[in-house]
Amino acid sequence: MRKVWLAIVVLAACGGLEPEPICAPNLVGLCGTLRFRGTIPDSTDAVFIAAYLTLPQTCNDLIDNRRPVVPGSVPYTDSAAAYSVAIDPGTYHWIVAVWKKLGNLTISPQDTALLRVAGYYRNPADSTQRGVVTVSNGPAAGDIDFVVNFDSLRPATDFVTCTAQ
Amino acid sequence: MHRAIATLLLVAAPLPAAAQGVLRGTVRNTQGEMLVGASIAIPGTTLSARTDRLGLYRIPLVPAGTVRVHAGAIGHAFVDTTVALTGGDSTTLDFTLRPEPLALPPVDVVSDRVPHFGDRPATTVAQVSERELSRRAVTTVDEAIDHVAGVQFVNGQVNLRGSTGYVQGLNSRVLMTVDGVPMNQGDRGGINWDLLSVDDIESVEILKGAGSSLYGSAAFGGVVNVTTRDIPTGLHARLRVTGGMYGDPPHAIWKFRDTPGLLGSGDFAASYGTDAWGGRISAGDRHSDGYREQDQDDHLHFAAKARWQPSVNTRVDVSGAWAVDRYDVPLTWCSRGTCDDRGQVFQPFMIDTSGRGARTDSRKGYLAAQVRTTVSPQFAWSARASWLRTHFVDVRRPTSEFGVGDRFGAEGRIEAHPAPLRTAIVGAEATYSDVTSDIFGIHSQSEFAAYGQSEQQISAVRVSGGARVDFLAVDGGSLTAVVSPRVAATLNAGAGTWRASVGRGFRSPTMAERFVHTTALGFDVIPNPTLRPETGWSFEIGHTSAPIFRFMRLDAAVFWTEARDLIEPRLLRFPADTAVRLDSVKIQLQNVVRARIAGIDASVIAAPIPDRLIATLGYTYLDTRRRLAGDTTEGPLAFRPRHLLTLGADYSIGAGSVGADFRYASRPERVELEGFVDSRRVPVKVLDLRAEWRRGPVELRVLAANVLNYIYNLVPETLAPVRTVTVTAVWSH
Repeated sequence: MRKVWLAIVVLAACGGLEPEPICAPNLVGLCGTLRFRGTIPDSTDAVFIAAYLTLPQTCNDLIDNRRPVVPGSVPYTDSAAAYSVAIDPGTYHWIVAVWKKLGNLTISPQDTALLRVAGYYRNPADSTQRGVVTVSNGPAAGDIDFVVNFDSLRPATDFVTCTAQ
Repeated sequence: MHRAIATLLLVAAPLPAAAQGVLRGTVRNTQGEMLVGASIAIPGTTLSARTDRLGLYRIPLVPAGTVRVHAGAIGHAFVDTTVALTGGDSTTLDFTLRPEPLALPPVDVVSDRVPHFGDRPATTVAQVSERELSRRAVTTVDEAIDHVAGVQFVNGQVNLRGSTGYVQGLNSRVLMTVDGVPMNQGDRGGINWDLLSVDDIESVEILKGAGSSLYGSAAFGGVVNVTTRDIPTGLHARLRVTGGMYGDPPHAIWKFRDTPGLLGSGDFAASYGTDAWGGRISAGDRHSDGYREQDQDDHLHFAAKARWQPSVNTRVDVSGAWAVDRYDVPLTWCSRGTCDDRGQVFQPFMIDTSGRGARTDSRKGYLAAQVRTTVSPQFAWSARASWLRTHFVDVRRPTSEFGVGDRFGAEGRIEAHPAPLRTAIVGAEATYSDVTSDIFGIHSQSEFAAYGQSEQQISAVRVSGGARVDFLAVDGGSLTAVVSPRVAATLNAGAGTWRASVGRGFRSPTMAERFVHTTALGFDVIPNPTLRPETGWSFEIGHTSAPIFRFMRLDAAVFWTEARDLIEPRLLRFPADTAVRLDSVKIQLQNVVRARIAGIDASVIAAPIPDRLIATLGYTYLDTRRRLAGDTTEGPLAFRPRHLLTLGADYSIGAGSVGADFRYASRPERVELEGFVDSRRVPVKVLDLRAEWRRGPVELRVLAANVLNYIYNLVPETLAPVRTVTVTAVWSH
């Protein structure tokens, strides 16, 4: 009986929730550092990171193909912040920082009225081009660093062909 | 039919008073201590009683002559004796019961609504005695029964063999009754576990499997029947004080306050009774700082109970309770960026700052009256009326929500024993529920039901069959009828008892499920007034063994439920229909799921060192499958762990005892709205330690719950309780 309880104690002592630092070794996804520029608008609700396997072609793509579907905000009140995003393995062609205005998302093209592109990851070799990142099943893709400029919040229609809301 | 009515009238005729007497006495253990809640019954009749807090019992209307009497108590050997009664007189019969940890619980009231002595029920029933309740040193019913095999609480929602899952309190597939009175909320169908203090409770019986054939809607997955303490003769008082402390987060990076969280409670109860009448009042107050950020809880409750015996064969009980709560609501834990996350992906002890200030003010109460008349040893009738009221205000940013729900119930029931080996029960029940709420609207629901069941002992086999028909109407609309039949049998063989049952269960959608209109996870939740009742067929085959190697007993059951039209939330996309209105996504509850819940439920009790050590093991294996309407893909039901394991051990020596409980639940394979919530989850592994010391009127108990401070969650983004150490002192007069 004593051995049973000893085994229980040993088994029960492990396996619970543990602290997970940004860019944890077991993360499947992206991580890096965001640097913030400009003045944070009063109507700011959140800033989040979204990733797309291919560049969206329509407003529906913007919403439907976003990973993750409902991202969490990153802290944006400091001049820089570490971030991480858990996403499925794959090669992502557009990793974008999205500014969100106050209001509820409906996961529909209507959301574009609340969202603006605040920055995106650029090709380290050619900063005029979007950067491409491959997420593997192994450790997260690190050093995906880019700038979020609150003074240059651009509608998605600057990048995607769809009707602005 | 005419013959049945004639038989019923015949058994209803009261016997001449001269041919009857009163049987009374005490029940003690071999050490001379009075046994509370022991059962005494005259087999083949409606006559039975339980001992009060003084170990006294009293049975009127016992036929004069030589009478067979059975006595038993949980954990004690069964006694079968005879006594000679003189008509018109009172006869004293005292029992001394020998401790016998492997003895089967003596009375099964839950499964058939009629007491049976020594017979095993045809479905699995777990019983929690007053002794077990006090030993656990807990304050609410849910804390006391979540160690029972096959029982799991998911954020306050009870699951019997995986019945309910988790639906944010909008329904329950388990019915709770208090002294036989249904106590599920009128609007949401949920259960207020803190309406009664454990000090007011004598025992809890848990019926696993569909109980709709007798109990109707909400008993789809089982029944939890709470029996409150009876009122003994004389003056009695009880004071209980509890103080405790929550453990700190196990990692410094999760620390969220500088001083430990505290909790404390005080409960007082007093009663006075004579043979003819009695009354009991109790009150209690509880405060908790909570184990995480924004988790403070204040609770106040009052309860009262009265009994009146206007004649030797009639008893009237009136009871009620009222509880007031104000508790903070830590809506979701902090994910990256939603608080000062200190560089962590999530902070389980902190909350998302968008939910700051969320709290709930809740008031709930009930009033119930019951009358039972034993017309003759072969015939008894009872009637009850009840009113349950719940009122909540959810304070959220930027708006608040409120709901007031009422549930009025009435029931009449006849029990008959037309022959020594045959019983019959018929009854009718009516329930009216209404709700006034800014998220559920203003609605009402009526339910009318009639039921009947008969049992017949044929040699070693006891066969029972019955059915219930329910008629449901919402907002005065047309009636929907649901028929719930059930047949069952038990076989007493030399090596134990076999049982088998087949029954149909159903659950009527709650008004909250039909009419809820709110916002969750940023999506609109829209109503669905066309929801149909969930239905399902449940099968069970089980075996209770005779003692094995003289020190252990095994109970095992295979169960299988095939359910249709289960109600679950679905994400709906509404396509653009005009240039103005674009695509949008909403959540709606729908009858979308066909489901199978099958598995094995086993429990073992062992007493390897007589009078010293008792060990228990419970294991439930769940295999669930869900199939959406119009979709051939299958997957497991949400929030159902595949494995549930409970281990317990208690060692007693002299006035003291120590004990331990361990609960394990495997990681649920699926949660609702995966992809929209943080799906991070782990298995449950909780170890509790406890110690107790008794001397005279004083008891001291120490409970260290989750002593290893295992950090886990049962639903997404909601931390489950951490290590909590409490010390309880009880004084009884």
